[in-house]
Amino acid sequence: MHSSSSNKLKTKVKRSIWADGDPFIWATGAALTFTLCMTVILMLVVMYNGLGVLWPHQISLFEMEDGSFVAGKIMQWSEIPDGGGERVQLKVGNRDLYSLDFRWVPENDIAEITFPNDAIALERREFGNFYGFLQELSLNDITVPADTEPWEAFLSAWNAAVERTQPIQALSQEVQRLSREMERNRLSRARLEHQGVEADAPKMVNLIEEQSELRAQFDETLAEQNRKTAALRQETAIFADAGGRTREIALVDVVRPYRPNTMSIPAKVGFYASKLWELLSAEPRESNTEGGLFPAIFGTVMLIFLMSILSFPLGVLAAIYLQEYAKEGSMVKAVHIAVNNLAGIPSIVYGIFGLGFFVYGVGGIVDSLFFAERLPTPTFGTGGILWASLTLGLLTVPVVIVATEEALSSVPKGIREASYALGATRLQTLRRTVLPMASPGIMTGFILAMARAAGEVAPLMITGVVKLAPSLPIDGQFPFIHLDRKFMHLGFHIYDVGFQSPNVEAAKPMVYVTTMLLVLIVLIMSSLAIYLRSRMKKRYQMGSM
Amino acid sequence: MSAEYRKRVKRWDRIATWVITGGGMAVIAAVILILLLIVRVAVPLFESQEARKFWGSSNPSTIEPDTVLAVGMDDYLETGVLLDRAGRFTFVNFADDSTIGEIVLEPPYESPSEILAAIPHHGLGYSLLWANGAASFARVVFSRDHHVDRPPTTAFRVDTLAEFAPPEDGLIPIRTVTRYHDGRATRADLLHDNRIRVTQEVEETDLFGNVSRDSHVSVLDPAVGGEIADIFVDTEGLALFAGTKDGYLMRWAMRRVGTIELTDSLLAFENNRAISTLSMVFGDVSLAVGDEQGGMTVWFPVRPDYDPQRRVLSHIHTLKSHRGPVTAISPSQRTKSLLSLGADGELHMDHMTSNKHLFGLRPESPIRKAALSSRANGIIGLDDAGRLNVWAIEGGYPEATWGTLFGKVWYENYDEPAFVWQSTGATNAFEPKTSLVPLVFGSFKGTLYAMLYAIPLALFGAIYTSQFTTARFRGVIKPAVEVMAALPSVVIGFLIALWLAPIVEVHIMPFAVSLAVFPACFLIFIVLWQPFRNLKLARHIERGYEFIAFIPIMLLAGVAAYFIGHFVEDMLFAGDFHRWLFEDAGRNYDQRNCIIIAFGLGFAVIPIIFSITEDSLSNVPQRLTAASMALGATRWQTVWRVVLPSASPCIFAAIMIGFGRAVGETMIVLMATGNTPLMEWSIFTGMRTLSANIAVEIPEAPVGGTLYRILFLSAVLLFILTSIVNTAAELVRQYLRKRYAQFQ
Repeated sequence: MHSSSSNKLKTKVKRSIWADGDPFIWATGAALTFTLCMTVILMLVVMYNGLGVLWPHQISLFEMEDGSFVAGKIMQWSEIPDGGGERVQLKVGNRDLYSLDFRWVPENDIAEITFPNDAIALERREFGNFYGFLQELSLNDITVPADTEPWEAFLSAWNAAVERTQPIQALSQEVQRLSREMERNRLSRARLEHQGVEADAPKMVNLIEEQSELRAQFDETLAEQNRKTAALRQETAIFADAGGRTREIALVDVVRPYRPNTMSIPAKVGFYASKLWELLSAEPRESNTEGGLFPAIFGTVMLIFLMSILSFPLGVLAAIYLQEYAKEGSMVKAVHIAVNNLAGIPSIVYGIFGLGFFVYGVGGIVDSLFFAERLPTPTFGTGGILWASLTLGLLTVPVVIVATEEALSSVPKGIREASYALGATRLQTLRRTVLPMASPGIMTGFILAMARAAGEVAPLMITGVVKLAPSLPIDGQFPFIHLDRKFMHLGFHIYDVGFQSPNVEAAKPMVYVTTMLLVLIVLIMSSLAIYLRSRMKKRYQMGSM
Repeated sequence: MSAEYRKRVKRWDRIATWVITGGGMAVIAAVILILLLIVRVAVPLFESQEARKFWGSSNPSTIEPDTVLAVGMDDYLETGVLLDRAGRFTFVNFADDSTIGEIVLEPPYESPSEILAAIPHHGLGYSLLWANGAASFARVVFSRDHHVDRPPTTAFRVDTLAEFAPPEDGLIPIRTVTRYHDGRATRADLLHDNRIRVTQEVEETDLFGNVSRDSHVSVLDPAVGGEIADIFVDTEGLALFAGTKDGYLMRWAMRRVGTIELTDSLLAFENNRAISTLSMVFGDVSLAVGDEQGGMTVWFPVRPDYDPQRRVLSHIHTLKSHRGPVTAISPSQRTKSLLSLGADGELHMDHMTSNKHLFGLRPESPIRKAALSSRANGIIGLDDAGRLNVWAIEGGYPEATWGTLFGKVWYENYDEPAFVWQSTGATNAFEPKTSLVPLVFGSFKGTLYAMLYAIPLALFGAIYTSQFTTARFRGVIKPAVEVMAALPSVVIGFLIALWLAPIVEVHIMPFAVSLAVFPACFLIFIVLWQPFRNLKLARHIERGYEFIAFIPIMLLAGVAAYFIGHFVEDMLFAGDFHRWLFEDAGRNYDQRNCIIIAFGLGFAVIPIIFSITEDSLSNVPQRLTAASMALGATRWQTVWRVVLPSASPCIFAAIMIGFGRAVGETMIVLMATGNTPLMEWSIFTGMRTLSANIAVEIPEAPVGGTLYRILFLSAVLLFILTSIVNTAAELVRQYLRKRYAQFQ
């Protein structure tokens, strides 16, 4: 400071760049940038890969240098690892013909790429998509108007075939109903046997008679169903792949025929919408890699709902205790430590607790008390939606507690004091003033807990989630809500399809779509929670002034 | 206001107090309940196995005890069987202490019906040596018949599986081991002149259904070692063992019929301790050796240091000693447990892998013959007085000790003791390897790399957000990070395993050099930035917009890293880093490795550390920073010298909580580690963590079994670990909250 030489002043300025620490501020800023970029990139990856899956992509026909043809959907271009130019990955489909869905084609071998208008894509019930060309219809019962264009004729025949599946579906429902009846009959007999009723008691005899009647009906209906199905499967069409190999495909096996190369933009949008609807409302197909996600969505929603029933009251009560009732002291400290521990226990430990306590402990007792006649087949003594929800409920309690506590503590003290001054009891103060004012904050806690539950998978994996549940936990059969049933879940769907399915590459699009859906659900919920909270904060900032 | 109303209000208030207090307590109760339950499931692991005597024949049996050659029992602990010298099997029902049947064997090759020696094997098989030197292999078979109207009954029969003619040289052996397995019959005779004669008979059916027989007789003469005390042949007749009275052990390989090679001949005990009996542990890999001083040892072939091509029979386990010579060893056919009988009539049950002495049985009258049931759930013993005693084996988990869970164990087919996790194998005879050490190691390895990545990013980001950016941005960044926290871990796991991992695999070098390129770009930028600092725009940016200005720099740095990385790979590693890593550095590159895990777990942990740190930094009382600023400190000086020190306990707490979350995270590591329980620090390999291990193994673990309880034990470990961390963090925060309270 006391130096007047300009030289010395210069060095001082130079030093001060680092001494005043601005580069460090930049460094902290860089860390933040990096973190945010990473988040954004991950989101973009999910959206980029997820949004495009349902879009009808063009089918390209490759004419190769050696004169052969390959058709399919272009997935990606990339460099050949050991040099030699680019290559393209094609989804060639037709798993029944080629056994592989994907194929790499070196760019150098391609003579020409075209997009023929008559190229068709078929979504099928099995063997994945078919890409190729329509050759001819081979119809039995169905007639199509003469002199229509082949594609039109195919469409009308296919529509007719789809219509004819309806009576078969009715029969299939009847078969299911009968088989349920038979199962109920079997269980009634097992219960009677368990109670020690003799085999020649009138009740028993009636049941046995009923069983044989049911069996006869069942056999008859099943035979009818099989006959009709076999007849309908005679209605086929013959398709050829790019190389000319033909394949006869039953019309009923086609889920969705389309010609992407001729579709206009509105048609494509319509197609996208119909696929989206299928995604949200239909059952999965082809070992979960195609079709819809409805059972998984349903399972997730029901799980969250059941979890809320346990988690919300317990969490709110505990938070009210901590904020309004307990006196500052070691007890409050202990509860706070407990809450933090509860929040910090790894979710898999909750899972294993759920397995040991709910499934084998409580479930085993319930079974031996109420479902003894079904043993050794467990009813509640195995993983199910009830046990999974209770486990998740415990897991989300701390989330509710923390948010509720925050909400309660942000209600200004003066309001409580005013209420007490008017002679209200603690409960009245709580019910009439504090809780209504804190309700948006408590809501926030609920939503955060639900978001957490929607994304949690590890504890579910051992308490009742399955890759494919035969029936939903709620349906039209008595007693309508089946808490003992296993269920499907979006998060587990991602893990299962992405990591456990035999053909991971073909399953990837479905996983991205599921991921996108789950991310959207979770993000919307947490954004809502954050919005509610910020609005509440603003309100009290105004109120306390 | 009526008195009635006031009373009602008061009553409700009281009820509410109870209910709400109950709710608060329920949270503590839940934590304790969770811990207690998982501990309760894990604890029986360390209970000892017990043998409960549940039956003893009241009257001495009609058979002279000296004539009894062997005893046996069925799996339901209902029927016992005695074999006597006359070749007669006597079946005894325990329920009413009565003889329910007798089967007399037809002597083979017109032998007089007298058995000279019998050796019991597992599954109620017996090697029998008949008076004229003929031999046979017989098996007692119990079959269970279930009936609708009455309890199940047990039927029994005796099958003779192989018969050997009397030897042509007429030499009657001292003892004979016979084996029959899949068309191959083997007979080994210990002769009076200390030689061993081996007879192998193979029956082969060719494509046309013609049966051909092939028979070979070899005589082995072990020149060294002294008098042979016992010989033993494994179940399939592929290996022959001999133990001598000078303490030598010998092993012959008989894999090919007709060629018998001596593979081992070694002095087993330095002090020439005499070997008394041999048997093989379930799985036919390990040899159990009993000696005259009561020692019980287990041996199996190990690759020695001096010659990695060979495998040499080596002393591996030492079990609890008997007081007198060991007279018989009966291996369990379920686990690696061994039942051994001493000359003093005491029975020992020991487990080989864990070296655990399970229990000893010492009835009033010494036991002379004993056997395990084939399910290893019971022991039958014939005592000196000719009475049968039956014990039921109950409870206990012989495989699990603190030693096997946390120490190095020498497993079969391993060349040295090791920490290994491999809970199940292809066959029943598999030796479960349940060391938790590789899993704990994996948990810490993944967490360490993740924390290395996450802590700087989260702390710096939090410092910037709370101290340097504008309130408006803070209002956006904080929710953005919370949204990041809400991302389900299954989504992160999927993305890093199926999207990021293949990209990193191909572009590994750009990722590596970016560690240097990013700081370099940063420094260059800072230097270049200096001349512009006096501009109005620059000053504006330096007031909270730095992180936005940095986005283009980051992109540039990324592009630079890409090109420099590939350039470096071409220059240093001949264009293929993976090949270099494998061939020159001798290391593997797993696609799902620690780099991927660091990204994934880091991504899950960053928002947690960030949020807590940001909160605590924002809560540092304004007076402190204002005072610092007033004294002329710069923004950074204030943060570094005032804000950070006063918030440091909370930052510590944030890191602790982040650590707890990373250790327990399941889905990310399950999907992106490859789940191989390795123990190496290499950043290019995966691992298996405690949490992922639970998720992988619990669906396959039989309820109440050893594996099930070990998995609960690992959950207890996780619980305790995270509890310590979280309790510490919470105590720190409570302390800090109290300290800050004085400023308000």
